[in-house]
Amino acid sequence: MKRKGIEVKLSLPVVVPLLDVVRELAGELRRSLAAPPVLPDIDAEFRMAWEDELLAGQGEDLKALLSVFGSEFFAEGVVAFDEGNAEAIVRACTAVRLRLRDRRLRALGDETLETGDVDLAKLDEPLRKAFMSYLFLATLQELIIQHFDSIIIGP
Amino acid sequence: MSVVPEARNTPKPESATDSELRLAGAWRVVVLNDPVNLMSYVVMVFKKVLGFEEARARRHMLEVHEQGRSVVWVGLRERAEAYVFTLQQWHLSATLEPDEA
Repeated sequence: MKRKGIEVKLSLPVVVPLLDVVRELAGELRRSLAAPPVLPDIDAEFRMAWEDELLAGQGEDLKALLSVFGSEFFAEGVVAFDEGNAEAIVRACTAVRLRLRDRRLRALGDETLETGDVDLAKLDEPLRKAFMSYLFLATLQELIIQHFDSIIIGP
Repeated sequence: MSVVPEARNTPKPESATDSELRLAGAWRVVVLNDPVNLMSYVVMVFKKVLGFEEARARRHMLEVHEQGRSVVWVGLRERAEAYVFTLQQWHLSATLEPDEA
């Protein structure tokens, strides 16, 4: 049976600079969780095993996200999502967005992040690039949820 | 081998029996608000992980958004841990608390 998939053409001049940000944060996220878990009443050994397993899953998800930006993307601006990578990518986008908030977007404040009401022209270059990356990943998530929601949720 | 119950195949919610809960105590799975996760994403995760129908998933998502937290499941600790772990895999801010009500 044919796998469901979509191809999306992105603007290379817009997206390539954002990938630098995404890659850098994805590198950090190989070593630390995007959202350190709150786990009351759990002994240290179990907590460590719990966190290690979350970190391993996060690493696999990030690999899936970065792998869509391969040679086809750099040649034609095309990225492909399908049943095999949609779930991991939508999770990885969240991991990077959480890290962006923690490390690059504190100056904007949480209320601004929630509303998205930002005048890009007023931001300095690093902040603008971080916020654009944040929006870009949200757009990928919306796209994936719109097309693969029922596949991700399953029967 | 997984140290916590297999997350991607977490069973859908079902009630523990009253006697089980009396013996072991009930635990709540609580999801806390964060400014990052999209509403559509949270709804999808609730449907996938907890087996909620659309309307119930939306109701809990809005509760998280407007009140800062929502109790999404109550039952035995082991199962509650499995849900928390899976919700954390999806990067939702989820935790456990004893059900003292």
